Amino acid sequence: MENEQQPNEKVPFYRMIMDDFMLLLFLGVTIYAIFYLLWGVMELSNLPAIPEEIKDSILK
Amino acid sequence: MFRTCDITGFKVDLQSQKLIRYNAVFAVISLLLAVTAALLLVFTRYQPMHLLNAEWYYRLVTFHGLNALIFWIIFFEVAGLYFGSTVILNTRFCAPKWGWVAFLLMVAGLVMSNIIILMGKADVMLTSYTPLKGHPLYYLGIILFAVGALLAVVLFFGNLMIARREKTYGDSLPLVAYGLMTAAIIAVITLASGAIIYIPTFLWSLGLIENVDPAMYKLIWWGLGHSSQQINVAAMVSIWYMVSFLAVGGTSINEKVSRSAFVLYILFICLASAHHLLTDPGVSSAWKVWNTSYAMYLAVLASMIHAFAVPSSFESAQRRWGYNKGLFQWLSKAPWGNPAFSAIILAVIGFGFIGGTTGVIFGMEQTNIIVHNTIAIPGHFKGTVVIGTTLTFMGITYYLIPLIFRRKIVGFKWAQWQPWLFFIGIALLSISMIVLGQLGVPRRHWDSTFSGGPFTYNFNPAVDFFWVLMMIGGVIAFIATLIWILIVVFSVSFGAKVNGPNDMQLTISPLAPEAKKHKGFEAPGTLVLTFIFLLVFLALFFLNWKWLAATWNVN
Repeated sequence: MENEQQPNEKVPFYRMIMDDFMLLLFLGVTIYAIFYLLWGVMELSNLPAIPEEIKDSILK
Repeated sequence: MFRTCDITGFKVDLQSQKLIRYNAVFAVISLLLAVTAALLLVFTRYQPMHLLNAEWYYRLVTFHGLNALIFWIIFFEVAGLYFGSTVILNTRFCAPKWGWVAFLLMVAGLVMSNIIILMGKADVMLTSYTPLKGHPLYYLGIILFAVGALLAVVLFFGNLMIARREKTYGDSLPLVAYGLMTAAIIAVITLASGAIIYIPTFLWSLGLIENVDPAMYKLIWWGLGHSSQQINVAAMVSIWYMVSFLAVGGTSINEKVSRSAFVLYILFICLASAHHLLTDPGVSSAWKVWNTSYAMYLAVLASMIHAFAVPSSFESAQRRWGYNKGLFQWLSKAPWGNPAFSAIILAVIGFGFIGGTTGVIFGMEQTNIIVHNTIAIPGHFKGTVVIGTTLTFMGITYYLIPLIFRRKIVGFKWAQWQPWLFFIGIALLSISMIVLGQLGVPRRHWDSTFSGGPFTYNFNPAVDFFWVLMMIGGVIAFIATLIWILIVVFSVSFGAKVNGPNDMQLTISPLAPEAKKHKGFEAPGTLVLTFIFLLVFLALFFLNWKWLAATWNVN
């Protein structure tokens, strides 16, 4: 087969990354976790709590 | 235990084949449930008909969403993952017993959730935003389904590892399997988000947790809700490449670029979930703009690469077969009688022109405000999930029937025009919904005119026309889906056995011959089509900005 790897042939760096599905899984999960999930959760967690009197007036 | 396919020459693990069959059958059942509910919903949204009462409307919105967007799609994708990781890679299934555990969990989840919805214990719609509370068994059903699906994804990776260890493929995964691997990675992200949010919500429904923060719920839920549709995109594009290979012997004209586009999906596409929070005050503009624009555009770039690479693979192969005259002989001489081929071409067109253009426009913080929470949003995803993914899955089924179920297609003439009928129906439905949304009609609303209330609302009279058009589109699409389901059921149950390649009703093309050296473009016809697409996109883009500018009168 022409695409068979020769023993001493150096695999290009980009292909090593592209063929390593566990690395891609790690990168995909990490980027999503940082930019969407953690960043979003941090922003929501830092929101000031609604003052009790406003809450009471809404829920009344 | 293996059999060697007398048509493709692939080595097929019989356990894997059985799992593919059962998952595909449940996908079809889920689709039948989803479209039955969809038809009733279409006749309810059109207010002169108002078929269902408000209670049953919201019940069936929940039922339709879950069956269409989760069960139908994921059952089919699991079948696809097993097919891609065993049949295409010529390898065995790593743990068939666990495959059955996954399948049974998914079936239990489907049955449990659907029964609870139909009993009226979970009228919470697919999003089930807190503090809306459903019955604990509704959440448990979804959790069981998600655990089963996650297990199926783990088994997919197990199969890949066996194939790599046993060197059943060359240096890199074949492009189709690579795309499915992308889908599996996105599935991990999706299902992990689902677990993070559904488990506390389940505990909350049992009374074990006092409260689930609505803003937090929405943020994490959309990591499941939107990303699950990105699994579809990756799986759908993989099938596009596969059908190009099967129908005309086509391969990507630059496989490295196609693979890079899949990597862009892995890295960035799930960030697009932030679209759903564009009007939420809790998250900052920086978070919104980064996730829905800068990062997400890299995923859009990937889609545009595929949108060029798939048709160009058809064109390049057709030209190498000798259909070289002018810009479009490759297209006019394409195998239009092959329903898988026509389904895929129509899916590419619909996904690009309807789903893709609206996806980018509605995904921007500025122009999103025109249509946020209007019926244009489900109109957009009719253009992605239905005309794109569902039509693609319907198309590839015409290959799965002879190759996996080993049966001839019953009613082949019907199969040949079914994709066209479905395309016309969904295109009408989708475009009508988008226009209705642009005219301000809200989504998921039983009575959008507030008739009989103190503050009734009169829409632009044009909405009546588009409601009717939407109903016509919905009925056509329903009939086309029913035809597809009947073809599948009759073929699988009563179809004649397939014996060898001469029994195949769909062509399986050999690899297209090597290209002769030539100057100029490899796929000029596709290039022209791409420019037409870009022009349409630009026109819609500026039209939406114009509408946005007209929304507020600034002096």
